[in-house]
Amino acid sequence: MAGMLDYIQFVLAPQVITGLALGVAVILVALGLTIIFGLLDVINMSHGEFYAFGAFVALALGWLGLPFWLLLVFVPIVMLPIGYLVERGLIQRVFHTGDRHVMTLLLTFGLGLVLEDSLKLIFGPNPYRPDTPIRGAISVFGIFVPSYRLFMICVGAAVIAGVALVIYRTRLGAMVRASAFDRNMAASLGVPVERVYAGTFAFGIALAGLAGVLLAPIYSVFPTMGRDFILLAFTVVIVGGMGSIAGAVAAGIILTQIQAISSLYISPVWSDPIVFGIMVLMLMMRPQGLFGRLGHA
Amino acid sequence: MRDALSISMQASNALVAVLVMVALIFAVLGAAAGETFYLRLATEAMIFAGLALSVDILLGYTGLLSLGQALYFGLGAYLSALVLIESPSFWAAMGAALVAGIAVGLIGGFIANRVRGVYFALITFGMAQVAARAVYNTRAIGASDGLIGVPIVNINLGVTSVSSASPAGFFLLVLAMIVVLYAVSAYMLETPFGRLLIAIKANDRRVPFLGYHTMTVRLGSYVFAAVIATLSGALYPMLRGFVSPELLFFSTSGNAVIAVVIGGVGTLAGGLYGSLLLTLLKSVVGSWTEHHLIVIGLLFMGAVIFFPKGLAGVLRPVVERMLAIGKP
Repeated sequence: MAGMLDYIQFVLAPQVITGLALGVAVILVALGLTIIFGLLDVINMSHGEFYAFGAFVALALGWLGLPFWLLLVFVPIVMLPIGYLVERGLIQRVFHTGDRHVMTLLLTFGLGLVLEDSLKLIFGPNPYRPDTPIRGAISVFGIFVPSYRLFMICVGAAVIAGVALVIYRTRLGAMVRASAFDRNMAASLGVPVERVYAGTFAFGIALAGLAGVLLAPIYSVFPTMGRDFILLAFTVVIVGGMGSIAGAVAAGIILTQIQAISSLYISPVWSDPIVFGIMVLMLMMRPQGLFGRLGHA
Repeated sequence: MRDALSISMQASNALVAVLVMVALIFAVLGAAAGETFYLRLATEAMIFAGLALSVDILLGYTGLLSLGQALYFGLGAYLSALVLIESPSFWAAMGAALVAGIAVGLIGGFIANRVRGVYFALITFGMAQVAARAVYNTRAIGASDGLIGVPIVNINLGVTSVSSASPAGFFLLVLAMIVVLYAVSAYMLETPFGRLLIAIKANDRRVPFLGYHTMTVRLGSYVFAAVIATLSGALYPMLRGFVSPELLFFSTSGNAVIAVVIGGVGTLAGGLYGSLLLTLLKSVVGSWTEHHLIVIGLLFMGAVIFFPKGLAGVLRPVVERMLAIGKP
């Protein structure tokens, strides 16, 4: 019995907390993807690069001497106009062509290439390791938790709750949901659909950037960091249901917990195939995912 | 029967014939000058053209965007390398690749074809990513180092034999292989089965009303494309003497998609042109900066926005008109 408790206290619980910290970051990235898909019907292949971009902006601003807590606010604010311009200047150009899915996917894929190589050009290909802004660990019920991971979980959870609150409980959120449900009807009722689209895209990009800031001290910062992350984010979006906010949150937590706990027993190398296997099973049995699409109740 | 499809196919064939002519002149000049580097580069471009061909069969004719064709390219490359290390026989390697392409294509197709549209793109992306990760971590096949020491093969063609070490000879062999793959694909697309694929691309909800099982037809197209990619991949280790997990990475699949879009989606010849253009561009831009991805990415974005028909998409109607003058 004592052995069991020790096992939970020293092995299982820290792993669950680590998984949760990763899960919160994945949810932030997946939320952006899923909202953009739910509203614009666009698969943003450059999302992982925007996540890396956010981490690098944080790195550069950190060199200028900005404190970490300011970065958490600043980086998303820097990302917003970029996202807005990308939507207005690039995505809208192919938005109304016949095959929107494929064309926007290809366009954002190209954008991802340019972004990634630009980061490589400016910062070089080698990884940076920013200092952990909050050092030490605290003990919760006898479980040692690195303070920064706890901080990450709290900030992430607050942002996710904030996003859900805005989407489901404010007038702005109602406009977004209305535009997702029926673009023309929303427009005829006076919703500035064009601006809602661009704003939502920018918002999704800002969330990816925020995830980049939060994860930078845990993983290293390097130009291709988005690549490793994006498959997991896409899996979360598919399992949760494309365009579903609740689904992204649920799937994000479930999948990262499965990863974290399974890696105690089998080599972490196989965590990707496991997660992907879940995605395949989900697509075979319930292609719409756990929850419905944004704006469709 | 001369309908729109067969006319456009003839135009594609004419474009490929021009390409082959240029390639033959290039090979002769290269062999005369004792060139190695550019002949090797052109051989690689032709091998990747095979991969682009397979992407175009799916994207341009069946309406399925695969972001994971590198899975089959890498499968062919690794299998061919393993066979060649055991016994250096070209035909054994190609035979093994053919069988594996069909088998793995059936499995992959069964999984991927359960879904459509963007889900298909994402699931093919995911399958290739997981396969790449698995290869990257498997010691038995060299893990992240890949397999080195693939021997030089003498390819017995009955009347003569070609060594994979001969730049011009092997270039011609690869050219012939890719042209054969192109010809088989072009033939397939003109059969009733191929027309069914085009019908699925146009409207996959109506095809079942005509009495066809959409899923089976799409699976057929997927396996066909998988075999084309696997056979192209099998040529790679003969050229380079090694294989590495990078062949399965997303950049390989992505490059093939870029080649098809720049060359012209749904023209079949476009993939070949696009692949050659991309390789040429990479080597030219790469000679003065290592950041060629910025240039290629910008060019690709420009092609998607301003030039969605691609090179062959613009050239082909011109050729079609010329053909129409010839045969009223």
